[in-house]
Amino acid sequence: MDNIYLPHKAIITGIQDETYDTKTFEFEFVERAVKESFRFLPGQFLEISVLGIGEAPFGVASNPNHPERFRVTIRAVGSVTRALHELKTGDRVGIRGPFGNGFPFHEMKGKNILFVAGGIGLPPLRSLIEPMLDSRSEFKDIQILYGARSPADLVYTDRLKEWEKTPEIRFMMSVDAGDPAWTGNVGVVTTLFPKAGLRTQNAVAFVCGPPVMIRFVILELLGRGFAPENIISTLERYMKCGVGKCGHCAVGHKYICLDGPVFSYKDMMKLSEKVV
Amino acid sequence: MEQVVLQKSNLNHWVELMHRGFQVVAPSRVQGEIFFLPHAGQLESDLLCGIATLPYLPPKDIVFPQSETLFSFTRGAGDIDFSVPDRPPEKRVLLGIRSCDTVGLNWLDHFYLSNFHDFYYQNRRDPLTLISIACTQPMKNCFCICCEGGPFLHPETTAFDIQLVDLEDRYLVECNSEKGKALVDLNRNLFSQPDPSMVEARDQAETKSHTRFLQEPTSYMSAAIRRITSNSVPPEVWTELGERCFDDGGCTFVCPCCSCFGVGYTAKGETGCHYRFWDSCDYSGFTREVSGHNPRAEKGERFKRRFFHKLSYHYVKKDGRIGCVGCGRCITACPGEVGMPAVVERLRRG
Repeated sequence: MDNIYLPHKAIITGIQDETYDTKTFEFEFVERAVKESFRFLPGQFLEISVLGIGEAPFGVASNPNHPERFRVTIRAVGSVTRALHELKTGDRVGIRGPFGNGFPFHEMKGKNILFVAGGIGLPPLRSLIEPMLDSRSEFKDIQILYGARSPADLVYTDRLKEWEKTPEIRFMMSVDAGDPAWTGNVGVVTTLFPKAGLRTQNAVAFVCGPPVMIRFVILELLGRGFAPENIISTLERYMKCGVGKCGHCAVGHKYICLDGPVFSYKDMMKLSEKVV
Repeated sequence: MEQVVLQKSNLNHWVELMHRGFQVVAPSRVQGEIFFLPHAGQLESDLLCGIATLPYLPPKDIVFPQSETLFSFTRGAGDIDFSVPDRPPEKRVLLGIRSCDTVGLNWLDHFYLSNFHDFYYQNRRDPLTLISIACTQPMKNCFCICCEGGPFLHPETTAFDIQLVDLEDRYLVECNSEKGKALVDLNRNLFSQPDPSMVEARDQAETKSHTRFLQEPTSYMSAAIRRITSNSVPPEVWTELGERCFDDGGCTFVCPCCSCFGVGYTAKGETGCHYRFWDSCDYSGFTREVSGHNPRAEKGERFKRRFFHKLSYHYVKKDGRIGCVGCGRCITACPGEVGMPAVVERLRRG
C-alpha cells in the first residue's frame, strides 16, 4: 500500500538567487524509479520537507515538459522556507507530490492568453507559460503583465529580459515603487491595463499573486469584459497533508489541495466562504 | 445475518477465548470515569448492558491516535534514511462500543480509506473487530435517534462485526461479518440457536428503545441542514454562537467524526520524526498563514466552518451522511453550552 505521507528523497542540484529574500531551487529525485516516473501538470504543487523542521507546499515553477529536474521558487518567510534557504547544492530534502488539479492547458489552445502576476505569483504561472511557449503556434496572443513591489523584488530577471525581446509574447512589467535606475512603469499591476491593449475576446486570464492583488485584478478583468469562468486563479490556505485529510485547507466543501489550488472566479464564487 | 444466543454468564469465558488471539479493549472505570482500555480482570458488566453508558471519549484513538509518528529519519553520510512505524502487531477486539461510536468509526473509515488511502489508519483498522452493543435506554444527552446513529445498528446502513442485544440474562449475538463469525467460531458450544420468541423479544426491545430515546432531548436537524447548505444563516447568528465558544477544541476532540490533524516535526542531532496529532478547527491557528493572514480569524467564522462540515448537504454527498452521530459528547464537553443540539435549535429558529 502506498504511504501518501512518506516523502521521496530529492537532491538539490542547483540554487539561483532571485532577490534579497527569494531563491530558486532545482531538484532531482534520488531514486531512479521515482525520478523516471515523476510527471507534473502546470499549477500543481509539491510538499517539500526539511526534515525535523517542517514541510510546506510550493507550486512547481518550471516547465512540466522537463520533469526530470524541476524548480521551485521560494521566499524566506517562515521556519521551513528559512531552513530551505540555508541549504546548499547537494543537500537532500523530502518531497511528496505532485498534488492539486493544475491549470488547464489543452483547453486553452486557440485562445488569447493573458497572465497577470504579482510578486512571487509569477513562479507558479511560469509552469504554464513555458509549455505554452514550447507549443507557441497552438495559442493566439500571449500577454504577460508582471508587477512587483520594487525592482529588487522582480524574480527571473534574465528570463524577463528574454520575454521583453521575443516577438512571441507581449510582456509588460511594473513596480509599486521604483528606484533611480528604474525607467519602466511605476504603480500596481492594474495600472498597466489601460496601456496593455488587452485582448478580451476568446480570451482567458490567469492571475496569481497576493490576495489583495488578485482581488483588484479580478475586478479590473470583470470590468473589461472577462467572464467569471475565463478568469483563472489560485487559492492558498495553510495546508499540511496535501491529500484532503488534515482539514486545514478546506474552504466550504472544497479542499484547496485536492479541488484546487486552481479555481476559476466562477467556481470561487460558488464556495460558501468568501475567498477573494 | 446470523443470530445466536449467549448467556451473560458465559460472556467472561468467551472474552477469555478472545484473549488468546486478540487484545480486548472494553469500557472500564478509572476513578469513576469510563474509558475504553485494554481489558484486564473482570469485565464491568454494567457497562455492557443496554443502558447507554458512554465513555467520555469515543474509541477513535484506537484507529486515529491523539498523536502518532508518520516516519522517523536519520541523516548520515550525505544521505537520509526514512523509517515508517511497524504495523501494530496485535489483532484487537473492541468490545462494548455503542451504536453511535460504531457509526462514527464508519464515518472515519469512509473518510480515511477512500480517495487517497491513509496508510496509518488502515494499519490500525484492519486488525480491529467491533462488538457493538445496542442501547435500550438512553443517557441524558443521547440524540442518536435524530442522526441515524442508533440506538440499534442495521447492516444496510452500518458496517459492524457483531451487535449484542441485551435481553436480560442473555445477549442476542448478531454476526454481520466474517470477522464477527470468527469470534463466535472460537467456541460454538457457548452459543445456542435463538427460538422465535427471542427474535421477537429483540424486535420489541428495539421498538421500546426507540420510544425511550424519543423522550430524550431531540435535535431537529433538517432546517439546520437546509439553512447551512443554502448559506442562509445570517452572519450575526454565527457571531452570536461563536461568542459562546471558548475556543477550547473540546467538542472536536470528543467527537467520533472529527478527523482533522496537524503535523509536527522534531529533531535531535541527526535523527528525528514527523508526527501528526489531533487538531481542531476551533483554534484560530488552524488556518493562520505564515504571512499572518488568517481567513478564519473570527470565532463566528470558525463556528460556521465546524457546523458546515458537520451538517451541510455538500458534505453529506461526499461522506454519505452527516458528520454527527448523536452521541451527545459535545454537550458534555462544551462549557459554553453550544453543543450540537443547541446549535441546531438556534439555526432552526433562524
